[in-house]
Amino acid sequence: MRLPMIVAIYRKEILDLTRDRRTMISMVLLPVLLIPLLLNVSTRLISRVQENAAQEARSMAVAVKSLSPAVREALEKSGISVAPGDDLKEAVLNKTAAAGVEESGAVVRIVLDGSNPTSSAAAERVRAALDALKDAKVREALAGSGISPSVLTPFTVKRDNVAGARKMAGMMWGSMLGYLLLLMMFSGGMHPVIDMTVGEKERKTMEALLAAPAHRKEIVIGKGLAAMTAIFMTAILTLGSLVISLKGSSLGGKSTEAREMFATIPLDAHTVAMIVITLLPLAVFAASLMIAIALFAKSAKEAGSYLTPLLMAVIFPALMGGLAGIKVTPLLCLIPIFNASQIIRGILLGDATMTNFAITTVANLVYAGIAFWVATRTFENENVLFRS
Amino acid sequence: MIQVKGLTKEFADPKRGKRLAVDGVSFEVHSGEVFGLLGPNGAGKTTTLRVLATLLKPTSGTATLNGFDIVREPEKVREQIGFLSGDMGLYGRLTPVEILDFFGKLNGMDTARRASRIDKLVTMLDMSAFAGVRTDKLSTGMKQKTAIARTMLNDPPVLILDEPTSGLDVPTAQTIETAIVEAKKDGKCLLYSTHVMEEAEHLCDRIGVIHGGKLKITGTMEELRQATGKQRLREIFLSLLEVEA
Repeated sequence: MRLPMIVAIYRKEILDLTRDRRTMISMVLLPVLLIPLLLNVSTRLISRVQENAAQEARSMAVAVKSLSPAVREALEKSGISVAPGDDLKEAVLNKTAAAGVEESGAVVRIVLDGSNPTSSAAAERVRAALDALKDAKVREALAGSGISPSVLTPFTVKRDNVAGARKMAGMMWGSMLGYLLLLMMFSGGMHPVIDMTVGEKERKTMEALLAAPAHRKEIVIGKGLAAMTAIFMTAILTLGSLVISLKGSSLGGKSTEAREMFATIPLDAHTVAMIVITLLPLAVFAASLMIAIALFAKSAKEAGSYLTPLLMAVIFPALMGGLAGIKVTPLLCLIPIFNASQIIRGILLGDATMTNFAITTVANLVYAGIAFWVATRTFENENVLFRS
Repeated sequence: MIQVKGLTKEFADPKRGKRLAVDGVSFEVHSGEVFGLLGPNGAGKTTTLRVLATLLKPTSGTATLNGFDIVREPEKVREQIGFLSGDMGLYGRLTPVEILDFFGKLNGMDTARRASRIDKLVTMLDMSAFAGVRTDKLSTGMKQKTAIARTMLNDPPVLILDEPTSGLDVPTAQTIETAIVEAKKDGKCLLYSTHVMEEAEHLCDRIGVIHGGKLKITGTMEELRQATGKQRLREIFLSLLEVEA
C-alpha cells in the first residue's frame, strides 16, 4: 500500500467533485439551503398564516341563531361581532361568517370549518367567551347558595420539570439529529459515489485509471476517502445549518420555555467529539457500501436506482433510533444505522453508556471493514468493471 | 518487448453462453518496432490489448511485457506500459495539465520530472493553446492529443494504442502518427490496433490480422503479400477474412 498513490487519487477525486455542479448541489446547497428553508421559511409562513387567521377571525362576524341575551352579550363583550343567520353551516362554508353559534336549551353549539384556520380561530374565541360566561354563572350560583368559589379549585396542579433546558434540548435534538445526519450523509454521498465509480465507467476513464500502476486497493481507498470527505462535509454542513436555523427560527411558538428549548444547542466539545467518533465508522461503511453497489451499475441512472432503496433502508432505522422510550441494550447496539441514531440521541441526552457507545463504534467499524472488503473485491472483479 | 503465448480469453455471457473472445493468440513485438493488430469489429483486438494491459485476466496462456508476466506481476507490467484505450478516457472536469500531473503521480514521477515531461509533451503535441482548458471544452483532436500525451508521459518502454487516430481530422492524425514514429525511433515497443489500412501500411513494421479471436497471420507487408498473393493491405485483409475484395 503506497500513501502517495492514495493521496494522488484522493486529491484528484476531490478536485473533480468540487467542479461537479450536481455534487455541489447535493453536498453543499441541499444542506445549506434546504434545512433553513424547511425550518425558517416554513415556520415563519405557518406563523404568518396563523396571525392572519387570528386577525381575520377578529374582524369577521360570527353568525348566530336563537341566542339568549346573556350569551349574545357575552360574545359581544369579548369583541366578537355577531350577525343573525338562518343556515349556520352554509354561512361558515361560504365564508360569509367566520363561525356560527346556536343555542338550544342547555346546549350551545359552535359551528366551524376545521379546515379553515380563520374559522378555527373564531370558534376558539367563541369558546373562550362561552367558558368565561359559564364560569361567571357557576360563581354566581355558588355565591347565591353561600358556597365559596374556592370549592371550584380545591387544589392546583404544578409541573416541575427537573430535566432542565439542556436535557430537554437534548431530547428534542436527539429525536431528529441522528436521523437528519444519517439521512443527509447517505443522500449527500450518493452523487459523489456514483460520479467516481459508474461515472468513470460511463465516461470511459476507468480503463486509463486501471492501466496505471496503482493497485486496485489503493484506488478504492483513494476513492473511498474522497467519498467519506463528501459524506462528512454533508454531515457537518447539515449540523451547522441546523444550528443556525434553529437559533433564528420561531420554532416553539409563543412559549418562552419551548423557544428556549429549541434555541439551546446541546453541543459542547465533548458531545461533538462523541458524535464524530460515532459517525466516522459509519461514513466508511456508507462510502464503501455505496461504492460496491454503484460499481455494479452500467450507468449513473442505473446506479441511482440501486442506491435509492438503500436510502429508504437508512430512513427507517435512523428514525426508529431517535424515538424516545426504546430501552437501549447491547444487542440493539449491533443494528447498523439504528445504533448510531440511538447513540447520538443518548449522547445528546447525556445518558449514553460507555458500553453501548463502544459496542456501537466497534460494530460499525466491523461493518465498515466488511463493506470495504466487498468494495475492494467488487473493484477487482473484471466482470463488474467491464460489464456492458 | 512483448511476448504473447497462447493467449485465450473466454467470457461467460448470460445470454449467449461462453464466448471465446481471444483464442490461443501468440505473437512478439520487439523494441523499436511497431506491430499493428488489424481486425474487424468484435474480432478480439480490444480484448487482446486489455489483457496485455492487465485490465482483464487471461483464461489461459500468458504474456510478458518487458520481462514481466501479466498474470503474476500485473503491477510491474503497468509500470512498463502506456495504454491508450479506444475511448481516450479523459476526465472532463480536469485540464490536460491536471490530467497529466495526476497520471504522473500514479506513475511515481517526482514533481520536477512531471513538470519537465509535461512541458516536453505539450510542446511536441502542440497542446500549449489548450493545456489549461477543461477537457470537456476541447475538440476531439485536442482530447486525443491529451490522451496520447498521457500515454507517453512516463516514457514507458511499451506503448499499447487502441485506435489512436480514430475519428480525428487529417492534421491531428498526422501529429499522432509523428509521435508514434518518434516513439519508435526512441526504441519503444509499439502495439497498436487500427481500422485505417493506409496508416497501418505506412507505420507498421509487422502486422497481425485477427478474426474470430484467432490470429490469422503475422508478418511484414512483404510477407503478407507473398502469403496472400495480394498487393494492398486492404485486399490482404479482406482475403484473410474470406470476403471478396
